[in-house]
Amino acid sequence: YQRRVRGSYIALHSQIHSSCFQNIYLAGKSITEKAVNRIVNGDTILIFKKSQLILHILLEAKAQNKEFKVVVVDSRPDLSGVSSCERLTAAGIPCSYVYINSSTYIMKKVTKVMLAADALLANGYVLGPVGTAMMGLIANTYNKPVIVCCETYKFCERVQTDSILYNELADPDSMLKTLNAEESPVAGWRESPNTRLVNLVYDTTPPALVSIVITEIAELPCSSAPVVLRRGAVKM
Amino acid sequence: VVSTQSTASFKNHEMDPFLLKKIPKDTVSRLEEFALYLRESKKERRSYVSVVKTVNVFRDLICTADWVTARELIKIIKCYCKYLPLSQSNETDVSNVVRRILKIIREENAGPEATNLADGISAFFKSDMKPSNLGRSDLQDNILNSIVELLVELDTSKSNIINMALEHIHSNERILTYGHSNTIRDFLLHGRRARDFEVIVCESGPSLQGHRMAAELSAGGIKTTVIADSAAFAIIHAVNKVIIGTHTIMADGALRAANGVHQLAMAAKYFSVPVIVCAALYKLSPTHLCSYDPDAFNKVIGPENMLNFSNAKLHSKVLISNPDFDYVPSDLIELFITNTGGHAPSYLYRIISELYHPDDYDLDNMCVETVEDEL
Repeated sequence: YQRRVRGSYIALHSQIHSSCFQNIYLAGKSITEKAVNRIVNGDTILIFKKSQLILHILLEAKAQNKEFKVVVVDSRPDLSGVSSCERLTAAGIPCSYVYINSSTYIMKKVTKVMLAADALLANGYVLGPVGTAMMGLIANTYNKPVIVCCETYKFCERVQTDSILYNELADPDSMLKTLNAEESPVAGWRESPNTRLVNLVYDTTPPALVSIVITEIAELPCSSAPVVLRRGAVKM
Repeated sequence: VVSTQSTASFKNHEMDPFLLKKIPKDTVSRLEEFALYLRESKKERRSYVSVVKTVNVFRDLICTADWVTARELIKIIKCYCKYLPLSQSNETDVSNVVRRILKIIREENAGPEATNLADGISAFFKSDMKPSNLGRSDLQDNILNSIVELLVELDTSKSNIINMALEHIHSNERILTYGHSNTIRDFLLHGRRARDFEVIVCESGPSLQGHRMAAELSAGGIKTTVIADSAAFAIIHAVNKVIIGTHTIMADGALRAANGVHQLAMAAKYFSVPVIVCAALYKLSPTHLCSYDPDAFNKVIGPENMLNFSNAKLHSKVLISNPDFDYVPSDLIELFITNTGGHAPSYLYRIISELYHPDDYDLDNMCVETVEDEL
């Protein structure tokens, strides 16, 4: 009996391991291949903050000797775009860095926008770090293609039409961090009954603002999300 | 109408000898002081303060300079304008007030039966720079009286705007605003006296002026929420209206506003949330956007608020852009609330034709009047 238990334990363990390998690691590689094909010489690609997958795509494109520039759009309070810049410059990719406020200023010179998703909802909305929806809107207004890269394990049966219904709040005190030594005027916000700081984590991008979603099984429009879910693409 | 860039006024630290001939020495020192004040203007300089200063300086100039006809006076003023750093994008309020003063001079010279140049083609061929019947002292008195009226208008412009707060703010509304504006702060505080509503303030990075605005609003008793600029799209569908201030209003109803207002207005348009701009008419400039380049329209400032200089390795490799202003096209704006009331963006051209004379749109142009020069 104990031998059978141990045997099934080993089988389960190897099944989990291979599923992880397939759905996360290999999926990432497949998406990278497809996305790198979309990058051409002379491109200026806009990315938003930091995403392992998008950085992997850009580094792979550089390794294939494609000539392109990257614009990194960053936003407060976490400013993760700085580490994106560091990784890109280390690989020798020419970079620009702006805050999200200036995104309309630089959008004219951009050729493609590549965004990462935290989830793809069943009604086609893309859940991403807060600010993703704004990038999608501005890119659409200036007629730039918006490419969302998302593995199929991130597809989700939940539906949502706005960003507030279901969201997360991060530490509000991180919004008080300023780069110069001055203290923010709202530093005493907890004592004041009228002041609140809200630090949203996610926002949802409407499917109309997204041109294409690159997944490991295919390159799809956002509206195909329920089809992928139905197929049971995430097989254990 | 082209917004031109004249670098001559930066390099030329000596006043034109023509000017020095016409103006007594102590006035010259006051004029040089004013030019220095404009050159060294700080970011938090209140536009109302500099506008009043401008009127006083020019009033001084009109009283003490050596002129006989209005034509001579306008030449002197335009010569002085070339000496001022007016082509920096910070100084549009000063240029606008100078244009108002020039319009006053032209009107007083033309006399009480003056034709408004905007009415009718025949008016284009009438010269209103003919030497008037009035001698210098009478003309000067009339001009100074009109300038006093202008000062009263500037003085009351903010109170006229904020008195309209109750017409535009309802109870239990959620209003979104961006960054810091003295006009908007007073507008909202005035509304608070009679209505209970909430305000959401966008931080407006990298300068984080929104924090200052939030502190001032909550000290005034308004429930304020501070959000990051990236969250604007996420919350704007739950907001009733967007009320913002601006640095300049362009001739077609577009704005030169704080960095980040354009994307906010785009998000508002997407969800059909009205965008209301409160600004006094001295911010209305008869210039159009001809190029998005920093030289012609925008101003790029230092990136120390974006990325710490201690990260020198990154600073040396990465191109960091920190534009100060944002261009907001007029189709994204619903309403302008000015000291003369509420106006649609499409009506501003009419106001411009009343406030300014076409020959003054380009202050670098020394021409006093196109009609006679062509004839």
